[in-house]
Amino acid sequence: MLKLLPNFARWSRAAAALTCMATLTGCDLNFWRMDGHQSTMVVEGPVAQEQLNLFIVTVWVTLVIFIIVGGVFAYATWKFRARTEADEHAEPPPQGHGNPLVELGLIGGSVLALVIIAIPTLKAIWFTYDVPAAEKANAYEITATGYQWWFRFEYLTEQATVDASVKTPLVTSNELVIPVGRPIRINVRTVDVIHSFWVPKLAGKVDMIPNRANFLWLKADKPGYYWGQCAEYCGDSHAVMRFRVVALGPREFNDWLDQQLQTARNVAPRPADANRPRPQFASLRSFRTNETGITERFEVDPLASWQQKQAPEKGEDAELVATGKQLFSTKACISCHTVRGHAGAGVAGPDLTHVGARTTIAAGLLENNHEQLQRWIHNPGAVKPGNKMAKGYVDNKITLTAADEAALVAYLESLK
Amino acid sequence: MDALAKSAFLTKDEHVPTQPKLLTHPTTKGGLMSWLTTVDHKRIGFLYGISGLFFLLVGGFEAMLIRLQLMVPNNDLLTAQQYNTMFTMHGTTMIFLAVMPMSAAFFNFIMPLQIGARDVAFPRLNAFSFWVFLAGAIILNIGWFLPQATHGAPDGGWFGYAPLTSKQFIPKHSIDYWIMGLQLLGVASIAASLNFIVTIINMRAPGLTMMRLPVFVWMTLITSFLLVLSFPFIAIALVEVMMDRQFGTFFFEASGGGMPILWQHLFWVFGHPEVYILILPPMGIVSEILPTFARKPLFGYPIVVFSGACIGFLGFAVWSHHMFTTGLGTIATAAFALMTMTIAVPTGVKIFNWIGTLWNGNLQMRTPMMFALGFVWMFMIGGFSGIMHSAAPADAQQQDSYFVVAHFHYVLIGGSLFGILSGIHYWFPLMFGRKVSEVWGKLSFWVIFIGFNVTFFPMHFLGLNGMPRRTFTYDSNLGWNAANYIATIGALTLGLGIFIYFVVMVYTYFKGERVGRDIWDARTLEWSLPNPPPEYNFRVIPIVHDRDAFWYEKHHVEEIAKEKIELEKVESAHGGIHMPFASIWPFVAGMGLLIGGLAVSALDSNPAPGMHLKLGLSILGGVVMVIGIYFWSIEGNEGYHLHLDADGNPIEDPHAKH
Repeated sequence: MLKLLPNFARWSRAAAALTCMATLTGCDLNFWRMDGHQSTMVVEGPVAQEQLNLFIVTVWVTLVIFIIVGGVFAYATWKFRARTEADEHAEPPPQGHGNPLVELGLIGGSVLALVIIAIPTLKAIWFTYDVPAAEKANAYEITATGYQWWFRFEYLTEQATVDASVKTPLVTSNELVIPVGRPIRINVRTVDVIHSFWVPKLAGKVDMIPNRANFLWLKADKPGYYWGQCAEYCGDSHAVMRFRVVALGPREFNDWLDQQLQTARNVAPRPADANRPRPQFASLRSFRTNETGITERFEVDPLASWQQKQAPEKGEDAELVATGKQLFSTKACISCHTVRGHAGAGVAGPDLTHVGARTTIAAGLLENNHEQLQRWIHNPGAVKPGNKMAKGYVDNKITLTAADEAALVAYLESLK
Repeated sequence: MDALAKSAFLTKDEHVPTQPKLLTHPTTKGGLMSWLTTVDHKRIGFLYGISGLFFLLVGGFEAMLIRLQLMVPNNDLLTAQQYNTMFTMHGTTMIFLAVMPMSAAFFNFIMPLQIGARDVAFPRLNAFSFWVFLAGAIILNIGWFLPQATHGAPDGGWFGYAPLTSKQFIPKHSIDYWIMGLQLLGVASIAASLNFIVTIINMRAPGLTMMRLPVFVWMTLITSFLLVLSFPFIAIALVEVMMDRQFGTFFFEASGGGMPILWQHLFWVFGHPEVYILILPPMGIVSEILPTFARKPLFGYPIVVFSGACIGFLGFAVWSHHMFTTGLGTIATAAFALMTMTIAVPTGVKIFNWIGTLWNGNLQMRTPMMFALGFVWMFMIGGFSGIMHSAAPADAQQQDSYFVVAHFHYVLIGGSLFGILSGIHYWFPLMFGRKVSEVWGKLSFWVIFIGFNVTFFPMHFLGLNGMPRRTFTYDSNLGWNAANYIATIGALTLGLGIFIYFVVMVYTYFKGERVGRDIWDARTLEWSLPNPPPEYNFRVIPIVHDRDAFWYEKHHVEEIAKEKIELEKVESAHGGIHMPFASIWPFVAGMGLLIGGLAVSALDSNPAPGMHLKLGLSILGGVVMVIGIYFWSIEGNEGYHLHLDADGNPIEDPHAKH
């Protein structure tokens, strides 16, 4: 055994070096602030607030118990430990078997502590379950449906135009836009496996389960851009099944709604376009697996970034958009995607009628810009392993040239 | 002690009737055959222990890969598919193939010694349990070695939520291995548990009343009841999902009117008692170790036992707290939330009593004591985050986040594993007659303790900051980078600690300091034996006078010596020590299940190639199993007699063998 001992010094030095490296390279060690985009500790709505308040109650109660019990435990360990050789061989201590009064007192104490938690728990169960009766009349209803691996949102009360005579409930995907200050009642459904709808800053999660009519409610206190994510393991790409919630003031919400209810936008050719040099996209660089698709610029003010996306892109090339529109049909995109007013009524994939006005693509994973759109269209399987679009390419023998990709990207970006 | 079995044993003057050659009882004492045919509870316990430790390393390796993948955002060490396989197999392996068999190892090795028995009630059933366990473990892991596109290791999560496990979403055979593997592990667990229950109820030494049982034996009994009562639920659920996959039924297929939520209820009615199956045995171990090293009896023994039973009962009434986000409705949520809070009372009582045991004690800070104290601290923290989960609306934020990951690792590593590691240290001298050096033991404890906390404490913050579980990647803009990085450093430290622990154990096994009997000045019967204990355990079955039986013996030497002489006379009057014959048939039956299980899960049920191979091999497996069980039953349950010389070595007896 002694032979091994010199290594101990070396090991401890290695461990120390490793720890130092961790502290030096491990960025700022700020994890206790818990103020990220998906924080449950810095919340923006009454449901999440109620859940947070309850959590804080449990933290305080358990902390007090921990200090008392842990204190006694630490004291007992310190006080009664054998310190010397003589202690080790001392006569055994008195062989006491316990004290019923102490036991009963401790049981009583624990029950009391649990009652302190139980009362706000019961209150919160009823509050967070459904929209409070007083606000029912003002509630806004939306159905959210989980797909492997994206979300579909259906505005049940809004009638969107398909053509002059046909209307259909408004459908969007992956970015849920809601009015501020109104309780939103969300029906959660799924078409395949179990998913879970979770926007931590607005409300706790509720699972989307086949054959089960679940729902939740939430309310955003102020305009904002919120991060959400699927929270139930749902297969290969569970980790990249994300979405966003955009909360808008009443006027902005109605403006947005008006735009969404219209059919897809057409880009009229302008005479000046003919001689203008066509915008060149950066040729597709190779992306690392799992490479982030979000830029820091976007993060500075996500809501402003979202608002920018509502306006048409600068320097649109009508000819290129027209080519893209053509390709959208010939390359079988239409069999899964809908672009209301243009071709396509597919329902297996996200509705793309106004995809250009969203901030993200691929279910909240990539920022919606030329580079990421092209990355996604070029090889969807590399971005989101196992997804249906990648399988669709194989099944339908779809190949896209760089020019095709550029045209499709231009078309998708034009769909404001 | 074995009033029922006695008639089947031969008396001294009888000759063993001649048997057909096939039914000759194996008598080898060494070599591979002796292990395949053993019915000795200590050897079977050893087999369980070795398998459990092996799979602990396998599961630990999977955990390392998981942590390395999550060390930095957008990492690409593992693909999504590989990562999902890793966390599925990490969970399944650690629960079913590491912690459960290691607990079973202690049940097997220690429990009969603590109750003064010479073996378990059904020695061959005990061997069968182990071989079936091994078959299940092989089937669970076979996918690693087969083509990944069509087979592969299980990747549906250890909870296997329908309908993700249906053929539509995971057509590969990976899920079939998971179903069959778990099914066999369930068979093994139920058989072993029935054995332990019968042993504890019927084979206690005279004077050992139920309220004198060591707490570890009580926890064995409660755990065995939990296993027997909870495994049928998952057995049914697994049969249903297997029929969905193999025969196109609609138990969980929503399109056919099935109910995916039904799987969750069945799974968690099993799954929650399973949690207590994992924690109660280590609680029992710690309840043995704390009194020994505090040198005083367990504080409030009846309440500790009663609260253990309480936890067992309540464990069946709280399963839906794993399902607070499935839309249970207000009443059910409230009921399960309150029941869950209730369970904190008996659990808290245990902690109070452990602290009470230390109070006024003379604490000997040996390595097992360090692990046991670490257990109490870590289990306490895990218990507190458990109370936080019982507040259902708060749980809606925590469910399936890293907060939950932190919680259950505090109870499963800080709790179960620390308890098991302390138990290994504690009973190692009894099992092998050697003792781990205190320096190295304590060093491994501190590295494990620190590594564990550095890994899992930051995960509380990660979860509250919104990081969901079971995600193979995350973006760098969510504030999760630092905590993930630290957790990975911690995991590497924890891995190093476990590595040191293992190296020290292996070293000690071969070269450690030799020690004599009862080195800890312990309190229970197993320490009255020489180490390692002889195959017959007790030369004379003792009479138990007190709760801490051996402590009493040590303090009433004269009275016990007189009693021993009397008992020895009685014992020799009925012809020596009864020993069961070894048998190969439990092994044969287990191998039949392995062949059949592999055939059923590995091959396609389509008429395509493989149909006949599948049918043939399934039938072959069934036949081998039936042969095993058939000869097992006709070879009979006779045993032989062992006669001892003054030193306790068996004297060759011509009647004892053929």
